[in-house]
Amino acid sequence: MSLNKFKDRNVGVQNYTLIEHEAFPQTGGEKFARVLKRTIKGELFVGLWVTMRTMILALFNGEIHTVKYPFEKLPISPRYRAIHDMLRLLESGHYRCIGCGLCEKICIADCIKMDTKYDENQRKEVTEYTINFGRCIFCGYCAEVCPELAIVHGGRYETASQQRASFSIFDDMLTPIDALKEQKEYPGFGAVSPNADDNIKKTPLAY
Amino acid sequence: MYEMLLYFNGGAMMSKIKNITVTIDGKTCHSEFGKTILQIARENDIYIPTMCYLTKVMSIASCRMCVVDVEGVDGMILSCQEPATDGIVISTNTPEIYKQRQSIMKLYDVNHPLECGVCDKSGECDLQNKTLEFDVAQQNFTAKDQNRKVQNWGHVSYDPALCIMCEKCVRVSTEITGDEALQVKFGGYNSTILNVKQDKNYASLGEAAAVCPVGALVDTSFKYTSNAWELTKIPATCSHCSSGCELNYEVKQDSILNSEEKIYRVTNTYEFSSLCGAGRFGYDFENKDVTKDTDEFKKAVEAFKVADTIRFSAVITNEEALILQRLKEKLNYKLICDEAKGYQDFLKAFGEVTGKNLYSANLKTISDSRAIIVLGSKINNDNPMVKYHITMASKHNQSRVAYMHTIEDTEIQNIVTQFIKYEVGSEEGVVALLADRLLKDIELPVKKREFLDSLDIGYLSAESNIGEEELDALAKSLIKKRGFSLIVGEDLYSHPRAKNIAKILGLIETYTDFNILLTPPSTNALGVSLICDLDKEAGNYTIGYNSTGDYILSATGDGNLDMPSFNQQEGTITTIDKRVVVTNVALPYGGYTLNDLANICWLNHEYTIDYTKELPTSKGFSAVEFDLLPNEFSITGKENRGYLLTSIKVVKDTSLDEVEDLPDYDGLVVYRCNSVEQFSQFTSKTTQLKEDNNLVGSPVFATVAKIKDGDRVKFIVNDIEYNRVFKIDTSMKGTIAINPTNDMGLSSTLVSSYRYSKLKLEIQNKNVSS
Ligand code: SF4
Ligand code: SF4
Ligand code: SF4
Ligand code: SF4
Ligand code: FES
Repeated sequence: MSLNKFKDRNVGVQNYTLIEHEAFPQTGGEKFARVLKRTIKGELFVGLWVTMRTMILALFNGEIHTVKYPFEKLPISPRYRAIHDMLRLLESGHYRCIGCGLCEKICIADCIKMDTKYDENQRKEVTEYTINFGRCIFCGYCAEVCPELAIVHGGRYETASQQRASFSIFDDMLTPIDALKEQKEYPGFGAVSPNADDNIKKTPLAY
Repeated sequence: MYEMLLYFNGGAMMSKIKNITVTIDGKTCHSEFGKTILQIARENDIYIPTMCYLTKVMSIASCRMCVVDVEGVDGMILSCQEPATDGIVISTNTPEIYKQRQSIMKLYDVNHPLECGVCDKSGECDLQNKTLEFDVAQQNFTAKDQNRKVQNWGHVSYDPALCIMCEKCVRVSTEITGDEALQVKFGGYNSTILNVKQDKNYASLGEAAAVCPVGALVDTSFKYTSNAWELTKIPATCSHCSSGCELNYEVKQDSILNSEEKIYRVTNTYEFSSLCGAGRFGYDFENKDVTKDTDEFKKAVEAFKVADTIRFSAVITNEEALILQRLKEKLNYKLICDEAKGYQDFLKAFGEVTGKNLYSANLKTISDSRAIIVLGSKINNDNPMVKYHITMASKHNQSRVAYMHTIEDTEIQNIVTQFIKYEVGSEEGVVALLADRLLKDIELPVKKREFLDSLDIGYLSAESNIGEEELDALAKSLIKKRGFSLIVGEDLYSHPRAKNIAKILGLIETYTDFNILLTPPSTNALGVSLICDLDKEAGNYTIGYNSTGDYILSATGDGNLDMPSFNQQEGTITTIDKRVVVTNVALPYGGYTLNDLANICWLNHEYTIDYTKELPTSKGFSAVEFDLLPNEFSITGKENRGYLLTSIKVVKDTSLDEVEDLPDYDGLVVYRCNSVEQFSQFTSKTTQLKEDNNLVGSPVFATVAKIKDGDRVKFIVNDIEYNRVFKIDTSMKGTIAINPTNDMGLSSTLVSSYRYSKLKLEIQNKNVSS
């Protein structure tokens, strides 16, 4: 690969606006004059007034800006990479994971383990699945590699625990079956691109 | 060392070799006439892609991936099939060839299910690899898809939708394992593989599954339990029989909730070597959950102090055998190994005539043979790998196979060209008759000739029930053949006249072109025979090591102190090929080992494998460190496993006894023989190997014994009481019933007596259902 691209540091036509400000003091006399001017002007009280006004509004008008974590939480970006969710198929409610083990393989922290078996219907069944969130670095590789959009990142970002290892099992992460209706597609890592439909090629079928 | 062996195998050597020189992709390659272009390319590290080529079977030529361009020859040449001629110039990769290979891959990929995500083969699949290699990113052709159901055949399952019809599995089942269960059903795009013997559930089909390049044929027990890349391969050696086949135990944690290691499956270098069903599916015989029990250990040490005898099973490593021998030398223990004693004596007597401490044949000389005689062994049960090599000889060289035994075996009907039945007990006569016939026109020392001339052929023939015309036919079938093998089995080692039988066989080995194989009757019977001075009679207080005794060390958990089983220890064994091969620790073991005990009892080696380099060179072993022993096959199939024993000269004593009057075994007789792919208490412990612990006899036997199928009977053989259900096998004839012993735990090793015994049955209860 040629490195030209990286060596060209001319980032294009700039469009900066110069901020107007008064001239900086140059001599000792000028500097002293500025100190005097600022002292007398009472700028300090401008700031104090802002604080006071907010306090009054908060105390008497109930206009408060503090988030009372953990009773309140701010919404996070839908693409934030927090504790994983395992999604289900919308039509059948069956878990999406096919047990391919790609997430287990790609995981850079080696924190995913899964057990699979041959079930009565001759399909691969995922009997257990764990992620050790004590090790997970939330890189998102697992979600990206998953061919079924089965493992995705959810919004639960609290990962503190009393031990270094903190395992979540399949059931912890799987969408509860009664909450299937609320299950949302994840727009982050590994999700289908908005123009995915355009990229589909049909297999030639003569019948 | 090697020269000596070459000299030994002289009988099977090829005639003159013609050297040729060919140019492949600009590289000058020297080779021998008769080799295919593909073989020469592989020898020279030149890559030619193949889909259907399997070194150990005849070339299949169904895929056309291996096409190459030969200068001056029109059209493409199939390199896997075409022998190279001197001076040809070959290109293995031109744009046209690439295109052609790419189109082949495109065709393979038509309607191939997109299920790599769940397929067991993913990660080690030829189709997956070559689809990527030839850059097939989409399907350009179309064919009507069909609903093809997965078929569960027992040990293996077949998914026709994934099958690429390479036919490797069929060839293996026909040419190697010889079960002939698989067939191709031709029908263009509807072609499929059929299992015509589904009812038999052959474990040997595991070998067919091993060679399947895709996920069409897989071990049912392994299916969907783990991705190939998650497993750790432990290169080891099968410990079930004396063939000591190369294998890998593939291990991984048991499950998320149990982090203990477990064997998930057994794989092998299937391109060049094979595994029987026992090796493939009989892997879970480990001694589980053992911890160091210090109190019991003290008791064991005490037991060693009072004991005067150690009785052990021949399923033991060379190193452990050496430990026992050292203990004997230091502390005068008597060593009893019922499985190996007869063999040791037999080998010794045999050597007294041949002048060498080993026999000359090996598995390779058998598969290269054009004429094979099997004598005194139900070979299909006794040693599957020998049977596989007979099958190879039969299919690859159209070898004649004479099967001399007391019971006809329908399972090997397909390879046996002549069955010669003899009477129970008449083995000495049979061997004498055979020697007489094979040595007929050969110049012999006077004494030997006199011995043969003194034989009462009429009497022997009448009593052994072998007609002269049968021997005539046998002799006739040997005319104009090259490469003869005589395979001898366990029936003879424990025969009351074993010594003389061995000596007569020694004559055949010395004076004819026959290479004799003395099949070791148990895993390391050969090693034990070479390493230990075995005694005949036990003393007053016996320590049993995987055998019976007053104090028992056991790797099945049946004794006082636990020992590691074979897949939990490292060490070497001596195989039928006279090769010392290594095995490694596949599963953890937390208890004590024999070496720990020996170190208390005045020996001093930190690890068991410290004994490897001390194996007796006077018996043909080499002084090599365990860690330096290889365990692999080279890219061209050369077996780089351990080392070969050197044959040692021994003092001759060629005196022969007169053949005794042949004994009479009228009435009911029981034959000690385990089911196919069952060998020992260890195979008995595994979960997947099927085990029929019944007394099996013919309808005639049932009539004579006045019992019916399903009756429960009691009988005593060698002081061991058996309580078994009787089953009729309609393929059997005569009054010999077969009785397995390997389910009898520790006493299953007490097999020093003649394999046939007269039988007294006590009927316990009649089968109610019949
Ligand atoms: S986010 Fe990264 S570290 Fe965490 S489980 Fe997925 S692949 Fe492993
Ligand atoms: S990558 Fe996706 S489908 Fe595959 S095992 Fe992981 S979660 Fe399941
Ligand atoms: S089952 Fe496997 S080995 Fe047999 S023909 Fe099909 S692809 Fe080839
Ligand atoms: S039992 Fe014998 S033939 Fe079978 S795999 Fe083991 S060593 Fe080989
Ligand atoms: S490898 Fe030659 S045709 Fe398949």
